[in-house]
Amino acid sequence: MALVFQSVILGLLQGGLYALLAAGLTLYFGIMRVVMIAHAGFIVLGAYIAWRFTTITGLDPMLSLVITVPAFFLIGYAMQRFLIARLKPSTLTMMSVLLTFAIAMIIEGLIGLLYSGTQRRIALPYGTDSLNLFGASVPVVQIISFALAAVSLFVLYLVMKKTRFGRALRATIQNPEAAQLVGIDTNRTAGLGFGISLATAAVGGAALSLQATIWPSLHWHWIGPLLAIIVVGGLGSIPGAAIAAVALGLTQVLLEIPMGPTWAQTIFYAALFLTLMVRPHGFFGGRLAQRF
Amino acid sequence: MSRKTRVTVAAVATASALVLTACGGSSGEGEGGEGGDDPIQIGISLPLSGDFAEPGMGVQRGYETWAQVINDNGGLLGRQVELSIVDDASDPARVVSDYESLIAQDQVDLVFGPFSTRLVVPAARVAEEYGMLFVEPAGAAEEVFTNGFENLFYAAPAVAEDHYNLLFEYIMAMPEGERPETVGFASMDDPFAQGTAYGLRDQLVEAGVEVVVDEVYPPNATDFDAIAAAIANADPDLVVGGTQYQDAVNLIIALQQLDYQPRMAAFSTAPTNPEFPDAISEVNGILAPTGYSNDAPYPSNEEFVEAHTELHGEAPQEDEANAFTTGQVVAAAVEAVGCAEQGECQQQLIDWLRENTVDTVVGPLSWDEAGRPQSAHMILQYIDDEIQIVLADGDEGTQADLVYPKPEW
Repeated sequence: MALVFQSVILGLLQGGLYALLAAGLTLYFGIMRVVMIAHAGFIVLGAYIAWRFTTITGLDPMLSLVITVPAFFLIGYAMQRFLIARLKPSTLTMMSVLLTFAIAMIIEGLIGLLYSGTQRRIALPYGTDSLNLFGASVPVVQIISFALAAVSLFVLYLVMKKTRFGRALRATIQNPEAAQLVGIDTNRTAGLGFGISLATAAVGGAALSLQATIWPSLHWHWIGPLLAIIVVGGLGSIPGAAIAAVALGLTQVLLEIPMGPTWAQTIFYAALFLTLMVRPHGFFGGRLAQRF
Repeated sequence: MSRKTRVTVAAVATASALVLTACGGSSGEGEGGEGGDDPIQIGISLPLSGDFAEPGMGVQRGYETWAQVINDNGGLLGRQVELSIVDDASDPARVVSDYESLIAQDQVDLVFGPFSTRLVVPAARVAEEYGMLFVEPAGAAEEVFTNGFENLFYAAPAVAEDHYNLLFEYIMAMPEGERPETVGFASMDDPFAQGTAYGLRDQLVEAGVEVVVDEVYPPNATDFDAIAAAIANADPDLVVGGTQYQDAVNLIIALQQLDYQPRMAAFSTAPTNPEFPDAISEVNGILAPTGYSNDAPYPSNEEFVEAHTELHGEAPQEDEANAFTTGQVVAAAVEAVGCAEQGECQQQLIDWLRENTVDTVVGPLSWDEAGRPQSAHMILQYIDDEIQIVLADGDEGTQADLVYPKPEW
């Protein structure tokens, strides 16, 4: 029983990180119908910057966010305006897979060139500390990355719901033509939305660097589960992605007790198939998916 | 093509043919059947790109150091050695065609093995077809030795299953009351990593130690929370990892986060990696098997470390040492038999190695019928944040006493 309780706690924390990593991915789809294969590549890039930042300055990797969040926002904005926006609308979804696949390869190659294929991990003074919660040990780094995920998702939610820009972005997602008719510059809005999505990759990367070893090709490991999460959650829906991420993360950890790690990780793909068979537009939210 | 051009092309072609014929003639006539003073050509295919590029380049560095040392000492049979190294991109199909062309077309005198079980097996098959001696630095999994190869020798102290042998002997020699009674295993689904862990597991089970956790995870696993929770929950006296680098680091930190305090903790591969103490702040007490140490007291080791450090700017690690050992093994056979070329000589080299022991930088090596080395891996432990050899074949190889129970991490 202690093991189940411990696993539930760890699964929830793990799910929080998945939610943060998937949030950006679901937005690209919502805004632009772009399958952003390079999102996990940018997450790993963010993790490498956090690692390098700490080894050079000796400061906490979280502080690297001051640099990476605005930098990733600008890169995302530029990527949308100068690359994605030039793809033909009729073949946008397919071509975006090819384009962002290439970008992922470039990121992986550059990281490998600069820092070799060696795995890196930040040794933090609080790296092995944990808090006791009703008999379960809760690692401090996981609490930090969960908090980071929660704050980022909450900010994202506020931006989407409460700001003028958020309303414009939602309008662009729901009906670009109508949005243009009421005077929204949908191109600019899409660029900003892309930038915000990529900024979440910077936060996710820093969180990832706290709790795992990183290496250049690590992004291939992440992109599969993340795509599964956003399909299950409903494309374009941030709350959907968050709920699906926590549910799948928790299920995965709990399944490891009877089934072992190899089979437990197939839960993402099993959920993906089930979703496509039973409810193709996703289980949580996701009215948008009906358009595809 | 104009007439003038045609004449020029024909002239160049004729001249080239004459030059080539002249060259061929001189090497054939002037130096006799043994190859004379020509360099001894050694053909090698290595994964210099692809999945195994990192260790592949390590093996390349070790081979280069060996070639330099032997050439500086007057060569092999009085002839210089030359390495012909080609890149197989970690591809088992490429490794086959590489050795085919090195042996059949380039007519190299000797071949050395590539890196990793996945490439060693197909490469050994080609070498056997051509009757070549095949000494290899990096195929330790059991499947290498169950293929019936009669030309293969593994140039390291022990196969994967035997890596923890000295640790097992140490545990069995402990007084009954102090001996670990329960053990937990976590192993990557990989022939080498699993081989190391299961070699120890099977011996411990036979000796009556209870296995309370036995987890296997896929090679790409990054999240070790659930495995760590299962181990911490069962709280075994001894935890053993059949690991490579990244999984060992993630697993150890996950175990530390759950404040599980084993009395003994052993992980294969990772602790010998120079990055390991940078990634984990509490390393003291962690044990690992290793086939090589810079400080090992074997006669040629000091020269190897010095030459390697001078050539490559850093001290050698296990991959480099196994490559250097491969060179030493082949060189010993060549010097003893007195030949190094394709044909009958190769069988003489193989027969000699079957019967003899070779002194190397990883200690004296001899082999069984299948090419398994008959020595033992040393066991190292982190003591005061430094690697110390705590168990070795013969007491002169040890640098410190094994610390048990291990300090808290």
